[in-house]
Amino acid sequence: MFERLFRKHETYLLIIIIVYSIVVTSVNKSFMSFENLFDIIRGSAGMGILAMGVLVALLSGGIDVSFTAVAISGGYISVRLIMATGWSNLFMAFLISCVVGIAFGTINGLIISYFKLPTLITTLGTLNAFHGILTTFVGTESVNAREMPECFVRFGSAKIIKLANDQGGTYGLSVFLIPLIAVIILTWFILRFTMLGRGIFAIGSNRESAVRAGFNIKAIQMFIYAYIGFLAGVMGVVAVSEVRWVNPVYLVGTELTVIAAVVIGGTKLTGGSGTILGTILGVGIVRILYNTLVLLGLSAAWNNFFVGIIIIASVAITSYRNKLKAYRSLTFRV
Amino acid sequence: MFRLKRLRGLDTNLTILFIILVLVVLVLTAFLPGKFLTGRNLKSMAFQFPEFGLLALAMTLAMITGGIDLSVIATANLTGILSALIMTHYITPDVSGSFSALIIVIAIFIALLSAVVCGLVNGFLISFVGVPAILATLGTMIFYSGIGMAITKGIGVVGFPDSYLAIGSGTALGLPIPLIIFIVVTAVVALILRKSSFGMNMYFVGANPIAALFSGININFTILKTYMTTGLLAGLSSVVMISRFNSAKVGYGDTYLLQAIVVAVLGGIDPYGGYGRVIGVVMGIFILQALQNAFTLFGFTPYAKGLIWGLVLIMVMIINFITARYQERARISRMLEDRRFNNGVGNDADAVAP
Repeated sequence: MFERLFRKHETYLLIIIIVYSIVVTSVNKSFMSFENLFDIIRGSAGMGILAMGVLVALLSGGIDVSFTAVAISGGYISVRLIMATGWSNLFMAFLISCVVGIAFGTINGLIISYFKLPTLITTLGTLNAFHGILTTFVGTESVNAREMPECFVRFGSAKIIKLANDQGGTYGLSVFLIPLIAVIILTWFILRFTMLGRGIFAIGSNRESAVRAGFNIKAIQMFIYAYIGFLAGVMGVVAVSEVRWVNPVYLVGTELTVIAAVVIGGTKLTGGSGTILGTILGVGIVRILYNTLVLLGLSAAWNNFFVGIIIIASVAITSYRNKLKAYRSLTFRV
Repeated sequence: MFRLKRLRGLDTNLTILFIILVLVVLVLTAFLPGKFLTGRNLKSMAFQFPEFGLLALAMTLAMITGGIDLSVIATANLTGILSALIMTHYITPDVSGSFSALIIVIAIFIALLSAVVCGLVNGFLISFVGVPAILATLGTMIFYSGIGMAITKGIGVVGFPDSYLAIGSGTALGLPIPLIIFIVVTAVVALILRKSSFGMNMYFVGANPIAALFSGININFTILKTYMTTGLLAGLSSVVMISRFNSAKVGYGDTYLLQAIVVAVLGGIDPYGGYGRVIGVVMGIFILQALQNAFTLFGFTPYAKGLIWGLVLIMVMIINFITARYQERARISRMLEDRRFNNGVGNDADAVAP
């Protein structure tokens, strides 16, 4: 049983998190508190939602880097529309943001599936195009905390559980956990129990076989990129509510960190292999690292240094193992 | 006449590119009379594009081998910061001229050396460890910019000696020095790709790595050398870049990443590897620089420029896809016709034999 456990990438990720947490706690006691844990969860919700989308894209052998532009477009347009109309309703906020997200995602899907273009380069193009559309045609003014519609502010500060801390104030588990868990369950359901999910794995493992097996590649790819757009729309509202202001240049530029988290989680870039649990743990590692460098006495300037090392080490180990396996079985995958 | 026809047939892509370049220049001259096609503007463009052109060439080499190098800008920034630190630390107002010249040479040498080391790490990860190029260079991109950030804390390193600034703003023989560097480097890269066995191997590895492996090509060393060259080009770009900006900082030239990929794809480099020529990329660089310059004259925001570059990138890839499919269809129908003809001959021979 243990042998089976140690063949799994997730086990190593969990060990890394536990060991690292012990090290950080021994240096700074304030890490191991519910307050800090809840803080990390609140901060990870947005990244976790996006990571599920990236996981789906990577499983199909593609990649998407445009989701941050989609997310901020969704969030910003939804804030602007709600400010203009005055309906301060969280349901409307999600609806507007998700419609924008799905629209942009569908554009990605159309380009990628009909013209069979390389996904990285295409979405790099649409990242700039979407962001350009937002900043050129919608606006570049930021909305500050006082002007923010009330529904976003309430959503941002709502708690599931409330606890009192030593200083007499209260802290709690943010309501952001609900959309995060909903997205995780939805993605898990699609990947595990639907023909669509089988199709996503099939395209990623071997596109040609998937065609022969009768999967409609175009439809599946359309779904994948529209789904990422939808998740980005959900994340847009969460991100905007989290910081309680919105600026059209927020989020864009962080897409590589999200992809890095998914890759650290053991998802292969060549497609067909990756797990939801690994992705959650990968996001956990990156967020804990960002959260704790300050506790360890290093400035935030060191963030990318360590994230870079972790990505390189993680992908180097998995790739090298695959390469050795390929050489042993004489399937020279170069 | 026959040769001309054959040449044109070989490089439809280049012909199209050349027509686009001419059209862009004509249209811009018409829309911006007395602003675009002036000596002063041309000269300022000649100073602007080399730093970016070198990065585009670096991207080209990686893409020819079927990879991509996302870390070129991070490499350029890191090496720029290292050489800037050396110069600002050792060159004080009271040192002699010859000493400061020596320091400048050392600083440039360190910049190029560290750039090659950055490329070596990329190449090692991609070839010997077997990490996909996108992932390896994504990781090193974050890592290299992380090193730069940790060293400088995000603050620019400023204040270079005047003799160093001449690299980015001086002229020699009436030509801007950055332009001379660009011309020399482009010629060398073109020669390597067309005339050396290393260049040939790069195309082979990009076209079909497994076939290359079984043809006895050392694909690991070819990839390693490719990314070292890529790194060196990024280092050269940083030498020009920090001299032009008179400072070095994490995050300079971030927009160049998209533009370098746009230019490589526009110039006819196949993102799946194995195809493309330097001359196409050079034309791509000219087109991009002309448009970039015009956008600045029109007063577009950086976001609007991003929008246009994104759309251009996707449009070019779609057009390439459609022309490739059209050419493929034409090729197949030609092949089928040939076969019908040959089969006819073959059947006759069979009929005679018994």
